[in-house]
Amino acid sequence: MIGVRHVKRYGLGIDIGGTFTDIVVYDSETRNQFSRKELTTHDDPSRGVMTGIDGLLASGEVAAGEVSRVVHATTLFTNALIERKGAVTGLLTTEGFRDTLEIGRERKYELYDIKIVKPAPLVPRHLRLEVPERLYFDGRVHRALDEDALIKAASELVDLGVVSVALTFLHSYANPVHEQRAAELLREKFPQLSLSASIDVAPEIREYERSSTTACNAYVKPLAERYLSLLAERIGERGIDAPLLMMLSNGGLTNIEEAKRSPVQLLESGPAAGALVAAHFGGEDGGAHILAFDMGGTTAKLSVIDHGQPTVAYSFEAARAKRFIEGSGLPIRISTLELIEIGAGGGSIANTDAIGLLKVGPLSAGSEPGPAAYGRGGELPTVTDADFALGYLDPDFFAGGTMPIDMDAVGRAFAPLCESTGLDQTALAWGIHDVVNENMTNAARVHIAEHGKDPRSYNLLATGGAGPVHAFYVAKKLGLKQLIIPQAAGVASALGLLIAPARVDRVATIAREMEQVDWDQLEGAFTRLEADARSVLDETRLPGHDAEIQRLADIRYVGQASEMVVPLPPGPYTGASRAALTEAFEQSYVAAFTRTPPATAVEIMNVRVTAVLKVPGSAATSQGADGASGEPVKGQRQAYFPEHGKHVTTTVYDRYALQPGQSFAGPAIIEERESTLIVGPGGRFEVAPSGSIIVSIG
Amino acid sequence: MSTSNASNSNAPQFDSVTLEILWTRMISAVDEAAKALRRTSFSTLVNESNDFACVLTDAKGQSLAQNTESIPSFIGTLPVTVKHFISEIGLENMVPGDVLVTNTPWIATGHLNDITVARPIFHGGKVVAFAASTAHAPDIGGKVRSVESREVFEEGFHIPIMKLISAGEPDATLFKLLRAAVRTPDQTEGDLWAQLTGLELMERRLVELMDEYDLADLDGFGGEVLGRCEKAMRQAIRALPDGTYPYEFQTDGMDEPFQFKVAVTVAGEDILVDFDGTSLQVDRAINCTMTYTFAMASYALKCALLPDLPNNEGIFRCIKVQAPEGTIVNPKFPVAVGGRMATGHYVPVAIFGALSPVLGERMIAASGSPLWSIIQTGLRSDGKTYANVLFFNGGMGATDGGDGQSTYSWPSNISNVPIELIERNSALFVHHKKLRPDSGGAGEHRGGLGQEVHFEVQSETPIGMIFMAERCKIPAPGFAGGQAGATGEVRIDGDIVDHRRNVVLKDGQTVTLRTPGGGGVGRSEDRDADVRAEDLRAGYCEG
Repeated sequence: MIGVRHVKRYGLGIDIGGTFTDIVVYDSETRNQFSRKELTTHDDPSRGVMTGIDGLLASGEVAAGEVSRVVHATTLFTNALIERKGAVTGLLTTEGFRDTLEIGRERKYELYDIKIVKPAPLVPRHLRLEVPERLYFDGRVHRALDEDALIKAASELVDLGVVSVALTFLHSYANPVHEQRAAELLREKFPQLSLSASIDVAPEIREYERSSTTACNAYVKPLAERYLSLLAERIGERGIDAPLLMMLSNGGLTNIEEAKRSPVQLLESGPAAGALVAAHFGGEDGGAHILAFDMGGTTAKLSVIDHGQPTVAYSFEAARAKRFIEGSGLPIRISTLELIEIGAGGGSIANTDAIGLLKVGPLSAGSEPGPAAYGRGGELPTVTDADFALGYLDPDFFAGGTMPIDMDAVGRAFAPLCESTGLDQTALAWGIHDVVNENMTNAARVHIAEHGKDPRSYNLLATGGAGPVHAFYVAKKLGLKQLIIPQAAGVASALGLLIAPARVDRVATIAREMEQVDWDQLEGAFTRLEADARSVLDETRLPGHDAEIQRLADIRYVGQASEMVVPLPPGPYTGASRAALTEAFEQSYVAAFTRTPPATAVEIMNVRVTAVLKVPGSAATSQGADGASGEPVKGQRQAYFPEHGKHVTTTVYDRYALQPGQSFAGPAIIEERESTLIVGPGGRFEVAPSGSIIVSIG
Repeated sequence: MSTSNASNSNAPQFDSVTLEILWTRMISAVDEAAKALRRTSFSTLVNESNDFACVLTDAKGQSLAQNTESIPSFIGTLPVTVKHFISEIGLENMVPGDVLVTNTPWIATGHLNDITVARPIFHGGKVVAFAASTAHAPDIGGKVRSVESREVFEEGFHIPIMKLISAGEPDATLFKLLRAAVRTPDQTEGDLWAQLTGLELMERRLVELMDEYDLADLDGFGGEVLGRCEKAMRQAIRALPDGTYPYEFQTDGMDEPFQFKVAVTVAGEDILVDFDGTSLQVDRAINCTMTYTFAMASYALKCALLPDLPNNEGIFRCIKVQAPEGTIVNPKFPVAVGGRMATGHYVPVAIFGALSPVLGERMIAASGSPLWSIIQTGLRSDGKTYANVLFFNGGMGATDGGDGQSTYSWPSNISNVPIELIERNSALFVHHKKLRPDSGGAGEHRGGLGQEVHFEVQSETPIGMIFMAERCKIPAPGFAGGQAGATGEVRIDGDIVDHRRNVVLKDGQTVTLRTPGGGGVGRSEDRDADVRAEDLRAGYCEG
C-alpha cells in the first residue's frame, strides 16, 4: 500500500468523539490512508490524540516531516455545554437588561407539562451585571458608555471568581461602538479575562438569541484557549511543522487563533465532518441531491446535500434539556451544517404508550446493557433485537462474528409487548422496524419541506451501524428511487476533515428596506466582510489566494420575522442592483412557498459573506473495490419481508467479495463487518466502480 | 404510489403499529404546515409571539392532530368551529378548492381578532377531513380590543361563516372590505395568505398518506385513535374519587370583583364542569364565550390527568363544560368579548383549585396570568396607520415538584417580542425589562417571578394604547400553605392608573408594567436552606 514518498503530502485528521478519538493520515494523491483509534481521554483530550499520533509515527508509516496540515474536529465544547462544565462566566450588558438571558422568549417547549423547567442560563443572575450605555435601534447613541462603571462591574465579576466575560449591549449589531470600546478597556485593564463580545460572535438582531450565543462562546472559550494551545504545542513538539486547522460547524476550516476567539463555531464540528464525508461519497455516485442518513446506536442524524454541498443553517440549539424537543435548548446563532438528530438508533427501546400505540425511542438501551440480543443483561426490546428477529442481522456474524448473540433473550424481551399489542413476534419485530423508520422519515420530510423542496428528488446515502439495515424501507417510505451505501470506513468522519475546504462566514446587520438602501454603504459592508473573511483565510496558510466569495443576504417581506438566506449575484453593487437583488429573493421565496404575498416592501436584515478556499488535492476519490475476490454469495437465511408477509429464503452476500459491475436482485442481504445492507423484494443492487453499492428501490 | 407495507396489503387494520404510523405522520404534516405558516406570516403576533395554531380534523370536525407548538385555546376552539362550518354550509355544498372562514366569537375563538379558516380535503370525491387554522390578526378594526367596548359591533370587522375561497377563486369583495376595515391591511391579509399556505400543505400531505395506505376515508382510523384516547382519558378520570368538588374565588373584575364559582363533578368516567353561580356578563369587553371556556377547561384537565399523550378529540369526549347563559364564561350575543382571555385564563385556576383535594402531586398553584398585553395604534411618519400588539407574561405557579418558572406563559403559550424589534417596529423606547424580585409567592416551592417593563413613548404624533392586565387587585393564590404572588401594576408617568381605560400617550410619557407573580406551594418555613440562600444571592428575593 505504501507508495513513493514525497515530502509534505499527508493530511492528518483528528476527530475526537465522546468515546473514541480517530486519527487518520491520508495521501490524496495515492489515496493511501492509515488510521488509529484511541479511547478519548476526557481529563486531557490531547493525550489520546498524541497516543494515536505517536503510534502512527512509530509504525514508520508516516514521518512527521511529511505532514502538510492537521485538521481537527471535536465534540469537547458541545459536551462542556451539555454537562455544564464550562468556565465561571459573567455577563456585562446594557443597564436595565441583565435578565434578558433568563427571561428568554417566555414560551413553553411542552404544552401540557405543569412541572416544565426552562433551560437555565449559562450565567447565573448574580454574575450578570449592568453598565450604563444605550443605543437607539438605528445605532445612534442615546447614552454614552460609562467607562468607570464598566471597569467597576468587571472588577466585581473578577472578585466573584469570573474568568470569562460575555459582553452584549442592546442594538450593538447596528453600531459596535460601545462594545468595541468596552472590549478595548477590558482587555487593557483585565488582560487575564477571557472576553467574548456579541459583535464578534453573533452580530445579529434579537437580544436574547445574541446574548445566548455570546454567553455560550464565553462559557467554552477558556477551555478552547487552553486545550487548543496545548494541542498545537504538542503536535509541534513531534516535529510536525504544519498549520493546525479546526473544522467549524458549517463544515469550513479555520485556524486555531480564530477558533480560540470564537469556539462557539466549533460546537457541531464533529457531525459536520460526517456530513462532508456523506457529501463526498454521495457526489461520486448519487447525483446532485443527497439525503445523508447516519443511524447508530442511540440516534440517527439526517442532513441534506444539494449540489454536493450540505445545507447550511444560521441557527441551532445546543444542550437541549429534553434532548429532542425544539425550544428546550440554548439558541445559538452561528452558521452550521444543518443536521437533524432524532432519538432513533439500534438501541432505541420499543414500548407502548398510554393508549397502546407502539412507540420506539427516544429512550435507548445504549451500549450498556444494550439490546437484549447482546446477552449483557438488557431485558427491553430494541430496534436491534427486532432486526435479529426479522433475520436482517445474523446472530452468528454480528460485528464480524466477534459478538455472541442470545436469541432466547430476544424472545423474552418481546413477550410482554407481544401480549399487550396482540401481535406475534414477527409482526411486532416488523412493527418496531417500521415505526422507527417512520420516525426518521417524518423528521426528514418536515426538514426537507421547511426548505420548500420535494423529498422525492433525493437519493439516500446510508451510513452507521444501523443505517444500511433500515435504509431500504426508509427510502421506500420517502418515495426515493436510489440508495447509496459507501464502503465502510471506520474513520469516515476523520477523512471528511481532510477533504473539507477552508471556509469563513461573516455576517452584519443592515435592517433596511430595499427602497431605502444606501448602496454605497451596502457595498461597503460587503467589501468589509469580504476583506475580513479573506484575512482569516490567509492565516490558514493554505496555498493559493483565489478564494471563492459568495454574497448572501437575509431578506424578508417587511413584517415577517423569518428571513430567507438568499444567494446573491456577485458585486460590486450600485443602485442599479436593486432589481437583481429583489428578483433573487422572490425566486427563492416562490421556490419555497409557491407564491409571493400581496404587494409589500422587501427588507434586507443581514448581509453575509462566505469565503471558501479549496484544499489542493482534496478532490479525492474513495478507494475502489479493486481488491475484491472470492465467491460473492456466502449463504442463505430466512428473512422477513413485508411484501411477502412472512420470512422467505434470502441470499446472503459477502460485500468483500463483490466486484464492481456485479448486480443482483432483492431480496438480498449484504454483510460486512460493521453493518448489514438489506435490499427488499423489487429492489436491485449493483457495485459501482467507486466501491459503493447502489440500490434501486424498484 | 403503491403500498409499501405488508400490514396494509389487506384491508387496513388499525393495529398498534399502523395507528402509530398514521397518527405521527398526521402530526408531522400539521407541524410542517405550522412552520410554513409562521415563516410566511407578516405580524409579530404569529412569527414572534406564536399566536396561531393548525389542526387537522376528520370529516365530522373531530380533531385528529394539532401542531406541537400550538396554543391551548385554539386547539379547543378549532374543532368546534369546523363543526359549525359543516352544519351551516353542509358537506354537500363544499367543493375542492374551497376555503371557509369566520371570526364570529361564539363559534370561533371568542373574539373577532382571530381569523379561522378551514379547507375541506377531498379524496375519492368526498370530504374526508378538514385542514384548519386560526391566527390572531394584527388588527381587525374597531376599538382595538378596548375593554370599554360594550357590544361586539364596536370591536371590529365581523366575518360570518362564509367561503373565503370558492373552488380556488378568492372572494375579492371580502378581501377588499377586510383591507378597508383594518389598520394593517398588508399584515392582516398577508397573514391570511400564510394561513392558506399552511392549509394547502396539510391537504397535500394527508392525501399522500391516504394514497400510500389505501385509505378511502379516515372513519376507521379516526374511530380507533380517538376511541383509544377517550379510553385513556376515561381511565384517568376513573382513578379520581367520585364526587363533586366545588371551588370559588374572586378576580379583579370591573367595578366589582368577579366571582368564579365552579363545581367539578367526577362521576365514574366522566367529568362535568359547571360554572353555575359565576358572575353575570358585563357590558365591557371582558366576557369569555363558551368555546373559549371549554378550550381552557379541557386544557387544564388534560394537563392534570393525561399530560403525556398528544391531543385529539377523544380526550374532549368525556368532558362536559356548562355555565348559565349570560355569565362572564358564557355570555350572550351581542355583548363585547374582545378581552376574553382576561376571563378565560382564570378557568384553569378554577379546575385545578376544585380538584386540588384529589390531584396530589399533579397540582399547580395559580399563575401570574391571564396573559398581559398592550396594543398600540398610531400613524407612522409616512402617514400609514399601524397597530402593534406586545405580550408580557407573569410567573407560573409553583408545583410540589419545584418553584414556578419565572416569566413563562401559562395557560397560554405566547412569546414576547424582542426589545430590538419592538423599538424598530414602533414608537416605544424600552428603559428596562427585568425580573420582579419578591413577586413569586413564598412557600416551600416559590411561585415564579413576574417582570417589570418600563418604556417611553418617542413619537411625534400621539399613540393610542390599550392595556390588558389582570391580577392587579387580587393576586394568584398559593396552595397548601404557600403564599400568593405579587399583584400586577400598570403605571403611567409613575402613577398607578386604571388600566381598563384607553389612553392616548404623547412623546416622553412613560409606562411601567409589572406582571404578577405565581402562587407558592407549601409552607415557607419548609423551604430548603440552600435554595433560600440562592434566592438571596441571585436577588430573586430581596429578603
